Amino acid sequence: MSERPALLPELRRFGRFLLSELRPRGPLVTPFNLISLPVILAGAVILAVRFTRGLGAVTNLTQEVPWGLWIGFDVVTGVAFAGGAYVLTFAVYVMRMEKYRPIVRATILNGLLAYVFYAGALAFDLGRPWNIINPIIGNEFGFSSVLFLVSWHFLLYMLAEFIEFSPAVAEWLGWKRVRRVLHACTLTAVILGITLSTLHQSGLGALYLMAKPKIHPLWYSEFIPILFLVSSIYAGLSMIILEGTISHRVFGDQIDERRHASFDEIVVGLARGAAIALFTYYFFKALVFLHEKHWQLLGGGWGAWYLLEVIGLTLVPCVLYAYGARHRRLGVIRAAAVMALAGILLNRLNVTIIAFNWDAPVRYYPTWMEVVVTLMVVFAEIWVFRWVVTRMAVLRPPHELPNAGRSRPLRPAAAA
Amino acid sequence: METYTLVNIFETKGLEYLLLLCFLGLLLLLVNYLKGAGGRR
Repeated sequence: MSERPALLPELRRFGRFLLSELRPRGPLVTPFNLISLPVILAGAVILAVRFTRGLGAVTNLTQEVPWGLWIGFDVVTGVAFAGGAYVLTFAVYVMRMEKYRPIVRATILNGLLAYVFYAGALAFDLGRPWNIINPIIGNEFGFSSVLFLVSWHFLLYMLAEFIEFSPAVAEWLGWKRVRRVLHACTLTAVILGITLSTLHQSGLGALYLMAKPKIHPLWYSEFIPILFLVSSIYAGLSMIILEGTISHRVFGDQIDERRHASFDEIVVGLARGAAIALFTYYFFKALVFLHEKHWQLLGGGWGAWYLLEVIGLTLVPCVLYAYGARHRRLGVIRAAAVMALAGILLNRLNVTIIAFNWDAPVRYYPTWMEVVVTLMVVFAEIWVFRWVVTRMAVLRPPHELPNAGRSRPLRPAAAA
Repeated sequence: METYTLVNIFETKGLEYLLLLCFLGLLLLLVNYLKGAGGRR
């Protein structure tokens, strides 16, 4: 019979391990830290004011404009940017496109953190944030509400993404048996995650179907859910290209030469997918435009603004992606990714803020405090992403982790 | 009574069908163009 370690010493060892992992690694004084830390601290103070004195103390939100920057950017745009996780997991786990496996964990982590932070920011915007639990516990089951679907989907998708990422956590802790069980659950979680994603990406668009009189006709369409879903595909692919490029530079010491070389091939493959998704999205936009006979609206300033989004930040990146993929020009592909993400940002902000109440006498502009809180959410996500990548097998292979060679790994039974 | 003419490209949704046909044709061209990337290593 194998000798089982005593519970108390194992718990102490586990506690010491966690404390040691909380210590910062690398230099503390870096340009990113110097910029992000004050913003995070200022955002925390503003949030304390928001939760003690109410939304009116820090935002320009009113009864007429109840959803502002926190919903328009954090939730609606952030969730579109996180679409890469469901696209890539579908490619790797369902279609067996093994070429993309080296970046799948970083993409899942990015998606998981985006949902935790950006969808979590939903709580900031609720007048009564303690009611956020109602759709889950059944105080107010709103079966006919799109928000009911979105809230359940966010919760379930975060759980699915955590299960997809959990083998990396088990490897970090040295829990080999748990890792085997979690790894076996991955495919189920992936299929559940893809199903949920396709539904709530379009669901976010469906939230705005009831606002037909408020949204400028160039941006309102009964096809908003489909447009949101299709655009989330290339938004996710573009985010993978951009985030992967930055990660490969910042965490270059964790990636061996072979993976560095294969990343260029991965970027070209992602660019091909993004070009096709962008082209399909552009077709849908053109179809809606013709269907609604909107050409008479192109004359004024709103028309120029619309063309900037649809031609400048949709069609142009589509052409750049196709050219970059065909001629293997990585610089062109990265430029296309930035432009495509700017196009998504502009589209989501147009639907939620800029072209929303476009003819109202008093327009909504976010306060500086709303902007600071938004930046805080972005920076906090990057901090957590960096913490996880420097400790777990996200970019590097699992056998390079310190716990991989432990004779006595940290046991889940003892830790529980 | 609402009149309906088969020669009006807007009333018949002919423009949408034309756009769809153009899209399918251009999509094939795009896929072929992107496939060519593999042979240019």
